[in-house]
Amino acid sequence: MIRTYISHHPLEGRIPLEPGIRAVDHLEVPRRQAIVTVMAADGEETAVAAALSTMSEASLRFVGPGEWLVVSQSETPDGLVRSLSLVLADTAYVLDQSDGRIVLRLSGPNARRILAKGVAIDLHPSAFAIGAASNLLCGHISVNLARTGENEFELIVARSLAESLFDDLRLMGREFDLSIDFSG
Amino acid sequence: MASLIHCPHCGIRPRQEFSIRGDASVTRPAPEASDEAWHDYVHLRSNPRGRHQEHWHHVAGCRRWLVVERDTFTHDVFSVTDGAAVAREGGR
Repeated sequence: MIRTYISHHPLEGRIPLEPGIRAVDHLEVPRRQAIVTVMAADGEETAVAAALSTMSEASLRFVGPGEWLVVSQSETPDGLVRSLSLVLADTAYVLDQSDGRIVLRLSGPNARRILAKGVAIDLHPSAFAIGAASNLLCGHISVNLARTGENEFELIVARSLAESLFDDLRLMGREFDLSIDFSG
Repeated sequence: MASLIHCPHCGIRPRQEFSIRGDASVTRPAPEASDEAWHDYVHLRSNPRGRHQEHWHHVAGCRRWLVVERDTFTHDVFSVTDGAAVAREGGR
């Protein structure tokens, strides 16, 4: 079977095939994820934001004014693009990013202390609420950081920088015995 | 250099996330303006000690152009505004 570049996960060589013992602080790497960029057309920002908030099966990540990343675990990339195009019609530009971005999910009681080594924003629960997301630098790597749960964060990073970010996160989490595994 | 910038879209961020273009107070002359006006616009910049308006690009964040008013001597930041809002205000 021919395996294309795209079907190969960039972290395959770095994550052991045998899952080790899962620690309280865990870095989970979803194998497949639908990630779509949505950019509102000029003047349609509020209409697009309202339409996106009605979509229950996908998670919304703020990037900048009028720009979001829509992430879904259950839908295929094509399916997500199709349903977004239906909902948004001419008010926004929808572009599939699933092959170009990698999701890393960091969870556990020490997740904030791990992230604080590379991220310069206030991660306190009162300042960074569940559902909040932002583009920022983690070390020298530009990522989209989102809080997806009480102690759960998701980092979306460009495919070409996934290995560097992964190595950084592993180093940042070493004092907490961070465990790592693929999922999905 | 001012080390913390209050981005109107992203909140308080370190300056490492930005790239600086330079003076935001100069305005582009009309295409048929005199050579002197174009020379001033393209080549001449003041280097003030004190309050200064600059274009900053939030490269690692919202990727918007911002107009940052800061003091080049004390490192105080007085205001940060979205570039598009400033341009609209100025009728550009």
